[in-house]
Amino acid sequence: MSNTITLNIDGVDVTASPDETIWQVAKREGTRIPHLCYLDQPGYRADGNCRACMVEIEGERVLAASCKRTVTDGMVVKTATERAEKSRRMVFELLLADMPEQPVDAQSTFHDWLGEFSIENGRLPGKHAGDVTHALPTSQAPLHDVSNPAIAVNLDACIACNLCVRACREVQVNDVLGMAERGHHAVPVFDIHDPMGVSTCVTCGECVQACPTGALFEKTLMDDKLRTRTVEDFDNKVDSVCPFCGVGCQTTVYTKDEKIVLVDGRDGPANENRLCVKGRFGFDYAMSKERLTKPLIRRDDAPKRGDMQIDGQMLRVDDVFREATWEEAMSVAAKGLTDIRDNHGGGALAGFGSAKGSNEEAYLFQKLVRQGFGTNNVDHCTRLCHASSVSALLEGVGSGAVSAPFMDAGKADCVIVIGARPATNHPVAATYFKRAAKRGTKLVIMDPRGQELMRHAEHSLRFKPGTDVAMLNAMLHTIIEEELYDEQYIQANASGFEALREKVKDFAPEDMAEVCGIEAEQLRAVARLYANSERSIIFWGMGVSQHTHGTDNSRCLIALALITGHVGREGTGLHPLRGQNNVQGASDAGLIPMFFPDYRSVENGDIRGSMEDFWGRSLDPKKGLTVVEIMDAIHADEITGMYIMGENPAMSDPDQHHARAALAKLDHLVVQDIFLTETCWHADVVLPASAHAEKLGTFSNTNRQVQIGRPALPLPGEARMDHEIIIDLATRIGLDWSYDGVPAVYEEMRQVMKSLDYIPWERLEANESVTYPSKPDGTENWVIFDSGFSTEDGRGRIVPADLRAPDEVPDEHFPMVLTTGRVLEHWHTGSMTRRADVLDDIEPEGFAAMNPREIAKQGLEAGDMISVSTRRGTIEALLRADREVADGMVFIPFCFNEAPANALTNPMLDPYGKIPEFKFCAAKVERAVMSEAAE
Amino acid sequence: MLDRPDQGRSKRRNPAKPKGRQLDDGALANVRALLGDRSRQRDHLIEFLHLIQDEYKCLSAAHIRALAEEMRLSQVEVYEVASFYDHFDVVKEGDPEPAPLTIRVCDSVTCMMMGAEQLKAGLEAGVDANAVRVLSAPCMGGCDVAPAVRIGDREVGNATVDGLLAMLDENEISVLRPDYKKLDAYCEHGGYTQLEKLRAGDLTPQGIIDTLSDASLRGMGGAGFPTGRKWSFVRGYEGPRLMSINGDEGEPGTFKDRYYLERNPHAMFEGALIGAHCVEAERIYLYMRDEYPAVLEIMRECIAEIEAAGLAEPGFIELRRGAGAYICGEESAMLESIEGKRGLPRHRPPYIAEVGLFGRPTLNNNIETLYWVPEILANGVDWFKDQGKEGHPGLRSYSVSGRVAKPGVVKAPAGSTVNELIEMCGGMADGHTFKAYLPGGASGGILPASKGDVPLDFGGELAELNAFVGSHAIVVFSDADSMKDAAVNLIDFFTHESCGQCTPCRGGTEKMGKLLRSDGPLDEEAIRDLEDVMRDASICGLGQAAPNPVNHLLTYFREDL
Repeated sequence: MSNTITLNIDGVDVTASPDETIWQVAKREGTRIPHLCYLDQPGYRADGNCRACMVEIEGERVLAASCKRTVTDGMVVKTATERAEKSRRMVFELLLADMPEQPVDAQSTFHDWLGEFSIENGRLPGKHAGDVTHALPTSQAPLHDVSNPAIAVNLDACIACNLCVRACREVQVNDVLGMAERGHHAVPVFDIHDPMGVSTCVTCGECVQACPTGALFEKTLMDDKLRTRTVEDFDNKVDSVCPFCGVGCQTTVYTKDEKIVLVDGRDGPANENRLCVKGRFGFDYAMSKERLTKPLIRRDDAPKRGDMQIDGQMLRVDDVFREATWEEAMSVAAKGLTDIRDNHGGGALAGFGSAKGSNEEAYLFQKLVRQGFGTNNVDHCTRLCHASSVSALLEGVGSGAVSAPFMDAGKADCVIVIGARPATNHPVAATYFKRAAKRGTKLVIMDPRGQELMRHAEHSLRFKPGTDVAMLNAMLHTIIEEELYDEQYIQANASGFEALREKVKDFAPEDMAEVCGIEAEQLRAVARLYANSERSIIFWGMGVSQHTHGTDNSRCLIALALITGHVGREGTGLHPLRGQNNVQGASDAGLIPMFFPDYRSVENGDIRGSMEDFWGRSLDPKKGLTVVEIMDAIHADEITGMYIMGENPAMSDPDQHHARAALAKLDHLVVQDIFLTETCWHADVVLPASAHAEKLGTFSNTNRQVQIGRPALPLPGEARMDHEIIIDLATRIGLDWSYDGVPAVYEEMRQVMKSLDYIPWERLEANESVTYPSKPDGTENWVIFDSGFSTEDGRGRIVPADLRAPDEVPDEHFPMVLTTGRVLEHWHTGSMTRRADVLDDIEPEGFAAMNPREIAKQGLEAGDMISVSTRRGTIEALLRADREVADGMVFIPFCFNEAPANALTNPMLDPYGKIPEFKFCAAKVERAVMSEAAE
Repeated sequence: MLDRPDQGRSKRRNPAKPKGRQLDDGALANVRALLGDRSRQRDHLIEFLHLIQDEYKCLSAAHIRALAEEMRLSQVEVYEVASFYDHFDVVKEGDPEPAPLTIRVCDSVTCMMMGAEQLKAGLEAGVDANAVRVLSAPCMGGCDVAPAVRIGDREVGNATVDGLLAMLDENEISVLRPDYKKLDAYCEHGGYTQLEKLRAGDLTPQGIIDTLSDASLRGMGGAGFPTGRKWSFVRGYEGPRLMSINGDEGEPGTFKDRYYLERNPHAMFEGALIGAHCVEAERIYLYMRDEYPAVLEIMRECIAEIEAAGLAEPGFIELRRGAGAYICGEESAMLESIEGKRGLPRHRPPYIAEVGLFGRPTLNNNIETLYWVPEILANGVDWFKDQGKEGHPGLRSYSVSGRVAKPGVVKAPAGSTVNELIEMCGGMADGHTFKAYLPGGASGGILPASKGDVPLDFGGELAELNAFVGSHAIVVFSDADSMKDAAVNLIDFFTHESCGQCTPCRGGTEKMGKLLRSDGPLDEEAIRDLEDVMRDASICGLGQAAPNPVNHLLTYFREDL
């Protein structure tokens, strides 16, 4: 390399790159220099403020901070002179003087380095004693702040090194922490010096992971007073992946006495040590006392009812179920299923697998349904998330997977995020978007609801709900009218452009402005920004997909990418942000009714023939029913038995009354789960299964990275591994299955999934993450479609979309728009996270959110209990005043079983993706009648 | 699961609202009304905080939240800046608002000598605390008329309790602007002709740089860097470039910039426009300390005059108001402040000539430095250079205060000694015997009278004594003064003004003050150790120089310990 320089460190000539720091070069050369404010981890800028790493540079008057100073040619550095060492020792002595006698964390970085100096404390006065120079402002958060449920703040251990601020502001870009005041009063603060627990802090814990002294520390490791670390060592430390969202953060899980006591972020490609509140502090659900530990069989005297509720007050578990042995439970489970299969045919059965399970579990589950039941009636919650996106993508580009990883936001000049709230639902992915915006990438956020990311955006388009196509077609119109499209790219790579040109002629921004509520000039500006940027990338979420026009919405996004050529290069592409940790993998593994593994059609005779050869029996030639269709088929008496693993349709399906009535109507329902979910209430047999933290398996994140989850906890009670239960059940329904552990399942799966070519189990074990498709030489294809698409002719297909209204629009009886979604702390239906103390502490109860203007207009008050009704039903919830909700709208998260949003939602489906319209239905809001208040 | 349901928490979030403090519509309307159609750019944050503070006499949490919303910042990004500067009063929900009127009593070393403490005590006893609050404040550049006080926006010299109470009664609290040489008067005597010559091509940037170099003009803010060389450096870095003017004259004992600006401000502006032209700066940011309300008004008037006369495009000179932070006199901290941030000095390298304001090459000059530029160009190299003593070329403006008969700005040859300066100030004050002096404000150390014949200039003999002349602020002490009291006053000043960024300065200043105050024998070894780490390992000059007075106290004034 020509761009190297030579310097001399401690008498040795060393070559280095000019952008390296002295500290980095010294480290490479084996010289350890103390450091406190510098964290040698991705994303952390050296700040050079603690002065623990001072070195002497020849010819300079004062010492230099080695962590910050970059090397130059000819520089002569001495790291170990008396002068440098004295400075460092004095820095430690100064800091130590202000610390409590009993360290918060005696194993912290600070105390670790302190051990290298022999410092007799006591000579310097502490800063908290006898301060005469500057009166403290009155209303400060206390020195000891335990108001956050997960994190204790002990500011007497703080050395004002600013790492927590960089963690919050630069690494996670949550912008809650800052360094306030001046001089020796300098102090890290939350918001306006508020207690952490009432601040805007999102409890990602990045500050804790960064803090070098324990001033910010996990409560799980501390004494009752939350002042001192008491868990001093761990029994085990396991590298794994996060069980929650599709981001796929790598974690390290620490256990003590067979309990998880700590989760830290690991340097995975998609998280670079970062985690969010769920990943870091939501681990304890697996250790919940509510875990199922014994198989349950429904009591003969417990009839099924769609509206039954097991809540410990009205109905207890033993009123409905009795404990059973595994042998009995499995034989009852198997018999019920085989009876139906044998008497009514496989089409009378259906299975719901789970996007929370591993790839191996998903593969085995769909194999059991197809091979064992003889039906394609197998689906999972992908149907409720991105089914419409996937159908549009398969149609347009021939693959349902993302074309580029979300980290590519950092390489893009323009990033569009539409119908997604990454800071809530993909918090670590959001850090990449915010960091990109800070570096100058133009961020465009399109969503009817406001959100935190809008603060970082160049354009925020809060369009009228349900008018996505109008808005996106107006952008397409602009790009075509102003000739901003990439003619060459279209000619080489896309078909259908002329039809699009014709279609969007009627969608001038000036005409659409009224429809979508965004000014024409802004629509044009965003279109120009997207088209003219060198690299533009689109991310979307369920705000796009969960509509009866969800597929059309995605078609518009695909068209944008295809006519501008913003796909197939780094920093460009189409990325539906996948919801669950393994929704990508479960879909890939064939846990969907129309496809075998790797999206190969069950209706294609050749493909089916090869699968029949592989599995050794004839297979159902028709595509199966989807999630909501299965519920309808139960009501129509076509399906009478189900096997549900780790899925909670009683909470997640639209029009819950209808869904629960269906579940209750089944002749035989086997549910395999870790908790007694709302779905279990309707079961005949409940099988206690394994939590993520207990099992080995692979998980594919939204970026197509396949990663390994490893067991950190033993199974509770008699609970069994999910894959063992599936195999046991398969055997009992007549299949000849035998697997030598999880890797064997993975390897079988690979035989029918070309996408996993060159990614054997050993490679995953060694690399922790491998992105498919991989080339024979091991190169990972992070970006696909660099030369053509996965369609039959290799060309992208532009499909024009028309404007269609949502299925149910507000009227005089139901004048509001109800939209549903998630909250940061709760996962999916809340079955896991509501049993995680920290998460449920932060968001403890069901709420419905409206903006303060709307609340006032309706004569309500924040904090009221209100009832929200639709044509499907009524629920009661606490009213939250949230400015982000648009006028005329009410937002309800679907995770709270005491206020279940899906009792209200409209089950009407998108015709292509079969996804229900969770994001839009007509509703009314009233103050709740306090029926129980009189008691 | 963890069986710690409450975790001892008293505060929990309210589920009826999202996390954290919610936006208040009324406060947002207030803020919008104040900001009007001003651009919401990030670097205007401190200006906007001033708007709110001026209007409401404090910064309420609701207003901070609203300003954050309006500027698309987070709350803490606003709050951390507000809390850094002395002139902002953050008031949180439930906290009392400050009294509507503030009296600031200077507690810096000269004013302390002249009875500031008794003055403050007398005031506190004499006012209604609900209507008036009395605060101590660092040097406000009134050392020649110590004790100095600011009542509202009125600067008062030679203050007395009775006089101030009378002013209170008469409501004499608004800015009192001294008469100064307006644009017309300045032009009458050849003002702005040097600028015009440069713009007409009669003078060239290189020619001017050579002239300033040959005349030995040096940076009068305290560092003494050769001005011509600085301009030449900045020109050498690829544009676009910017210029800043450091009007944050905060070094205790210094009042010469104020002296010039209150008399002949256009000379400084002409110098600045010449500098901007020479380095092709796209804009000039004039950072003026908030302790000088009268000067601030003069600056506004001058800029308006300059724009009206077409000497500069509207907006070319942007006035930025400090907010009470000595550290912002450090050039890189000042740039941070201009960018709307906390005034934390930057690490060097890179130097601001290369990576300065908004990351651009930046020319930064002190007020007085620029003030001399037109006159040097008009009168020639020798005129300036020859005013100095042998080996000390140039003219200096010494701010002399303390125990002299007639304190004030003394224009004298570079290299003058304190003995000469005392002489020029009419000798010692009656009844006082010369004992010691500060050669360079709070930072330059304390020298005994026995060192009274040392030439006061950059480097040289002073440096050998571990002292420096800095901004040429000479404070004279007499046999009536305890040098320990003086040293404690100075270290307290540094403790108060340390930005808090680096450990040696943040902890060193505070602990040195405490050690000096401690009962019993002085732990001199500990003090010396602190001195070493502060000098060797502080990020900027504040921390590096802060131990100077203590060093000299221990060296020269052992009888005062």
